[in-house]
Amino acid sequence: MDKRNALLKRIMQADFSMHEAALFLDSHPKNKAAMNFYRKMQAKREELAAEYRRDFGPLTYYEVKSTDWNWIDTPWPWQN
Amino acid sequence: MWIYDKKLQYPVNIKNPNPALAKLIISQFGGPDGELGASMRYLSQRYTMPYKEVIGILTDVGTEELAHMEMVCAIVYQLTKNLSMEEIKESGFDAYFVDHTTGLYPVAASGVPWNANTFQSTGDAIADITEDLAADATTAKEQPTYLRG
Repeated sequence: MDKRNALLKRIMQADFSMHEAALFLDSHPKNKAAMNFYRKMQAKREELAAEYRRDFGPLTYYEVKSTDWNWIDTPWPWQN
Repeated sequence: MWIYDKKLQYPVNIKNPNPALAKLIISQFGGPDGELGASMRYLSQRYTMPYKEVIGILTDVGTEELAHMEMVCAIVYQLTKNLSMEEIKESGFDAYFVDHTTGLYPVAASGVPWNANTFQSTGDAIADITEDLAADATTAKEQPTYLRG
């Protein structure tokens, strides 16, 4: 697996963890363990996403920082 | 994948409920030219598009249509707040109310529920883009229709 796909997979793992924790927290907003888990995954996600943006381009068009429009240049997620 | 932003694309603040108007506006949610169909059309067609520019537009427009759908639903929600039974009967909103009360249900003004038969996804770039042009032209039709209503 190339570096881009490996990093993307780690972001997917962090996102999935955050998403599942968010679903639980929606119905259990006072749960400390879930909240701590969410924040841990959130920090991980921010770190991984920053690395991805720097090396491989934007995950959302809000993250486009280049002077040219590179949003459409990276592969679409269903193109393998 | 998608994430949810906790804001409308443009604010909706309706002061006076109007269930008769809600009966018409809801078509923009679940009618044949509504936002739900628009979003599903673009988000279904994008996979087989041969150009990254077109995939980008269909992805970003299809996403924006979901934001439009949320604004239309906010309008219907606010138009049908705090109604008396009399207001519901007199406005003609009673036919919708008996099935859905004030719940948001994707339906045309005529009462036909939303259906994927309202759009096409052919796998042919020219056929799909031509259909998108026709779909977009319905916006020009809808606005004066609602104003007359």
